[in-house]
Amino acid sequence: MTAALATRPLETRKAEAASVWQSHGVPHRRIEEWKYSDLKAALGEKGIGAVFAEWQVQSLPAGVEMFDLSLLNPPANVPEWVKAHFAANTGNVMGAASLALSAGGIAFRVPKDAAISVPLKLDFTGPGHVRGLLVLEEGASLTLVEGVGSTSFRNVGLEIVLNPRASLEHVRISPQAGDSVLVEEAFVRVAAGASYRGHFASFGSKLSRMELQIALEGEGAQAHLSGVSVLDDRAHSDVTSHVIHRHGNTNSTQLFKHVVGGRGQAVYQGKVTVAKGANGSDSSQTAKALLLGEAAEADLKPELEIFADDVKCAHGAAVGDLDAESLFYMRARGIPEAEARGLLLQAFLEDAVAEIAATDQRELVRTELLTALKGIA
Amino acid sequence: MLEIRDLHVAVDGKEILKGLSLNIHAGQVHAIMGPNGSGKSTLSYVLAGRAGYDITEGSILYNGEDLGALAPEERAAKGVFLAMQYPVEIPGVTTMTFLKTALNAQRRHRGEADIDAVGVLKLVRAKAKTLNVSEEMLKRALNVGFSGGEKKRLEILQMALFEPKLAILDETDSGLDIDALRLVAEGVNALRDPSRAMLVITHYQRLLDYIVPDRIHVLAKGRIVAEGGKELALELEAKGYEHIVGQAA
Repeated sequence: MTAALATRPLETRKAEAASVWQSHGVPHRRIEEWKYSDLKAALGEKGIGAVFAEWQVQSLPAGVEMFDLSLLNPPANVPEWVKAHFAANTGNVMGAASLALSAGGIAFRVPKDAAISVPLKLDFTGPGHVRGLLVLEEGASLTLVEGVGSTSFRNVGLEIVLNPRASLEHVRISPQAGDSVLVEEAFVRVAAGASYRGHFASFGSKLSRMELQIALEGEGAQAHLSGVSVLDDRAHSDVTSHVIHRHGNTNSTQLFKHVVGGRGQAVYQGKVTVAKGANGSDSSQTAKALLLGEAAEADLKPELEIFADDVKCAHGAAVGDLDAESLFYMRARGIPEAEARGLLLQAFLEDAVAEIAATDQRELVRTELLTALKGIA
Repeated sequence: MLEIRDLHVAVDGKEILKGLSLNIHAGQVHAIMGPNGSGKSTLSYVLAGRAGYDITEGSILYNGEDLGALAPEERAAKGVFLAMQYPVEIPGVTTMTFLKTALNAQRRHRGEADIDAVGVLKLVRAKAKTLNVSEEMLKRALNVGFSGGEKKRLEILQMALFEPKLAILDETDSGLDIDALRLVAEGVNALRDPSRAMLVITHYQRLLDYIVPDRIHVLAKGRIVAEGGKELALELEAKGYEHIVGQAA
């Protein structure tokens, strides 16, 4: 089965998005999914604006096709794969806003069975709204490294389509971004035998939210999400995920670890839905946070919704402080307190970092974490 | 080397050690024996500097210095080593990384240069072989999934690596079968040295068959109630703690 095509014409889809956006407006804390990330308050009077954010391709590996989405308006030589998949998801408020309010963005396609060994490096920069689309055809594989630049406010809508047996590793590193308000929605469709691995390292900003909506649509489809955050001062970071097991014998795992100091705030809202008939599905969710100060906050909310039989679902969340026994053990062997704390914090995050398969990116995340932990520990 | 005078220690406001005095000279091995709840582990923790073990009266002098005033890591750098009864499992830190970090932290504190990874590996390998610590164990996360015997062997390996001046062994025999016990005891005996003092804390006489002490102190209810040579262990084994503790009371 190939990922189903969006059957409505592109203009209809854009109009739908505009109407969704107009009827909802900027989300705020009284809307349940935005309770811990009050976008309206963070934006203040400036509001959401209608500027167009930019993208920059740092490295385009050979064999990856690219299409500039600003050419959609007016339509000129639009490839079929863009027509088929662009703007397929219009229900999500901020996703709809990015469609309604952006003038373009960037689309990529990896052809059938192409195994791209060099990562595709893509940065989103500047204020405003922008869209991205990535289509992996059957059996294709790719590593997407996404960079996040600081700015007053940016909203990115990213669509990812993984056709049967395709495999994507998506690594997103969001550096400490001060007063930036950063919102991104990724809509990921995973067909039979395909695999999506997403890793999200975040060092926070005034408001920083990564929303993932992942549909496992065919036999054996997989999604593995992991994330780490180190948040200090007033840094905020939110990962909100919704994994939908639409087909049986699909598998999803989630592992998120947070270290929060100062008045930092870590948010994890993970919902797993096992649809009717998706029997034999397997899912797990783990979210843990270490709070280093009285004012540090972690809001961890794993959630399950099961409409099928014979499924295996596990979820758990834990918030705590560094283990005193471990700290004493290290100090008793001569490791000074600050260094011991740093090592233990690194150790706490390590299993989530180890999920990153791309060696360079994994090492980069480790280095960034080490630097951030030195500041916090 | 170690001079404990009228030591009183409270944990959560409750007095556990109630006037303990003890002298150990370099080159000596002393044993502390005592029933459960006598304060054996409290003594080991207070010597290593664990938070929450408050000295309310008396003093601990280590080479003439007030040990109680030092942070745990300073004590370690100055040569105090506690082999713990329950070595802590630390996922996410490999054993080798831990050994290297600890060794170099101690060296740095003493103003000595760091040893690089290759150098540390060489040192560790040399000690690991006799203690039957495998390369595979060194690559694993610290103590994670180790058997009781493996954990204790790794404690002794650390003792060999750090070359402490004062080694305290807290119930090192607990959870060991006879072969593991012999291996650990051999490791400890190999470290007996005229410049080194050892304090072996144990409930049972069994360990002292292998690590023969110069002096035995019996601890009960926070005080030393009996002292003697190595034969005291046999008497305890034959007659039980009740007998000796009862006599003293």
